[in-house]
Amino acid sequence: MKKLVMGLTAVMLAAPALAQQAPVPGWAVGRPEGSTLAPHAPRLTVTPLAEVPVGAIRLPPGFQAEVFAHGIPGARMMAEGPRGTVFAGTRAIGRVYAISRNPDGTTRTRIIAERLVQPNGLVMIGDSLYVLAANRVLRYDNIEANLDNVPAPVELTAAFALPTEQEHGGNHHWKFASLGPDGRIYTNVGVNCNICEFDRDKFALLVSFNPDGSGRRIEARGVRNSVGMAHHPITRELWATNNGRDWAGNEWPNDTLHRVRQSGEDHGFPYCTAGDPDPQFNAGRNCNQFVKPAALMGPHTAALGMRFYTGTMFPEQYRNQAFIARRGSWNRDKLSGYDVVVAHTDAQGNVTRVEEFLTGFRDDANQRFHDRPVDVHVMRDGSLLVAGEQMGAIYRITYRR
Amino acid sequence: MRLGVTLAAVLAAAAFSLPAAAADPARGAVVAAERCAACHGMDGKSNVAEIPRLAGQQAGFITLQMILFREGIRQVPAMQAPTEKLSDTDVEAVAAYFASLPSAPPEDSTPRDAALMARGQAISAARNCGVCHLPNYAGRAQMPRLTHQHEAFLAHTMTEYRDGNRVGIDTQMNGAVQGLSDADIAALAHYLAHQD
Repeated sequence: MKKLVMGLTAVMLAAPALAQQAPVPGWAVGRPEGSTLAPHAPRLTVTPLAEVPVGAIRLPPGFQAEVFAHGIPGARMMAEGPRGTVFAGTRAIGRVYAISRNPDGTTRTRIIAERLVQPNGLVMIGDSLYVLAANRVLRYDNIEANLDNVPAPVELTAAFALPTEQEHGGNHHWKFASLGPDGRIYTNVGVNCNICEFDRDKFALLVSFNPDGSGRRIEARGVRNSVGMAHHPITRELWATNNGRDWAGNEWPNDTLHRVRQSGEDHGFPYCTAGDPDPQFNAGRNCNQFVKPAALMGPHTAALGMRFYTGTMFPEQYRNQAFIARRGSWNRDKLSGYDVVVAHTDAQGNVTRVEEFLTGFRDDANQRFHDRPVDVHVMRDGSLLVAGEQMGAIYRITYRR
Repeated sequence: MRLGVTLAAVLAAAAFSLPAAAADPARGAVVAAERCAACHGMDGKSNVAEIPRLAGQQAGFITLQMILFREGIRQVPAMQAPTEKLSDTDVEAVAAYFASLPSAPPEDSTPRDAALMARGQAISAARNCGVCHLPNYAGRAQMPRLTHQHEAFLAHTMTEYRDGNRVGIDTQMNGAVQGLSDADIAALAHYLAHQD
């Protein structure tokens, strides 16, 4: 850690000498010399069923994995309609999928929306599907009755008035969406950079709205980019995953899990991350003045979609515990994540341990991965869906005693 | 140079975290003849500065860009019709076909300018171009080959990224060229276009 700070200081001291050349962007400061780290290529074409790596999945005893649906490139965040249709959003490919079950147990997938910018945030309220695509908010009424002939959505974009893609500078403008127990839509407004000075009332927020877009309320400040949140089924508190900054080393910072006890809390970004002062952007702040994360989720693991397990199929020990998909690292020399973990909490809502649940996608020996879990969803029968973005597949996890 | 090539090959192999789908370059040639060759050339060596050279381009890069064109996410009018209703398998086949062709410098290259080369090299070092595109700028996976490309096309592309008129699969390129002047971009394009 000390070495990192010294290294950064040296870089910053050297910077004025380079001032006559083009400045190095903030996000690249701290990138180690000779690093070859770069984001992994997504796959946006159909993966044939034979190549869907369901056989690689490892689970605790008694659990089984099967392919629920496949051939859905880029499938990410999931929401389920009252008639059992599973909707899946995407990022780069711009589509929203609807996956329905045929009487024989097979599934049928339709594209119900396309050409959207990062339609990642989905939430179902009654019969209406809300799609959050960057700053656009679209409401598809009575969607499950109209899967073959989707009517034009109700445009709520102006009412929500989320920052545009341009205001984000293309950074962290995709949304996660969740329905709160109070009937409000909860979502994230990610930071408009890797790390920088920014308007803390506008970016790096958890926010909530009435379903019509009115009544914006800041739930938490200083949360860099949350792409997963859920309310605790007992305490009704909001919990959220968060992605830490890049280019500050292999082991720092951890991605984090946040518990919001009170609307408007400050969780510290950019001054403090994972409870530690940021080496570049601390600005003299004492990290004790900010809410500490509820749990550390591992460096660069990309902890994304999360839900509390409210079903009855899984053993009692999983009841009301947080299942969290970790998409897997790119900004780290050795791969981390590529799994689903469970954050166990005690009666007071404190995290007691984070344990692996679904593993096998990360191949440590060869530094390869087979798929990237991005979201989890608890079905009404108590089975758990896991969206694999890389292979465009959704896996279903069941338990038999 | 040989060391560079070997290193690049190792890095490229490491970047492929997944088994490549069995794309068929022979099928790709058929599709390319119908949809691509008129502008990009059957040999992938367009001699029009505004039309990128595809010979030896990374298959992962071509595949993703064609999907983005087809889905209307990256809007370039000239690429709309050629990608319309193209199946995923055909997209992968076309990408495999162009990736299999040997690349070569454009015939209409501008003469090498020592000052521009030096300035471009310094900017590339400061902006870490070689980290993603590899030190020999051959690219890997979704990150394109930069060598043997039209200088004007490289400049056009970087200007689009800088001005926010183009976003890739992520915003890495927008960040990488952020704040560069037109002269910086011209020097960088000259340097990259004149790599062996």
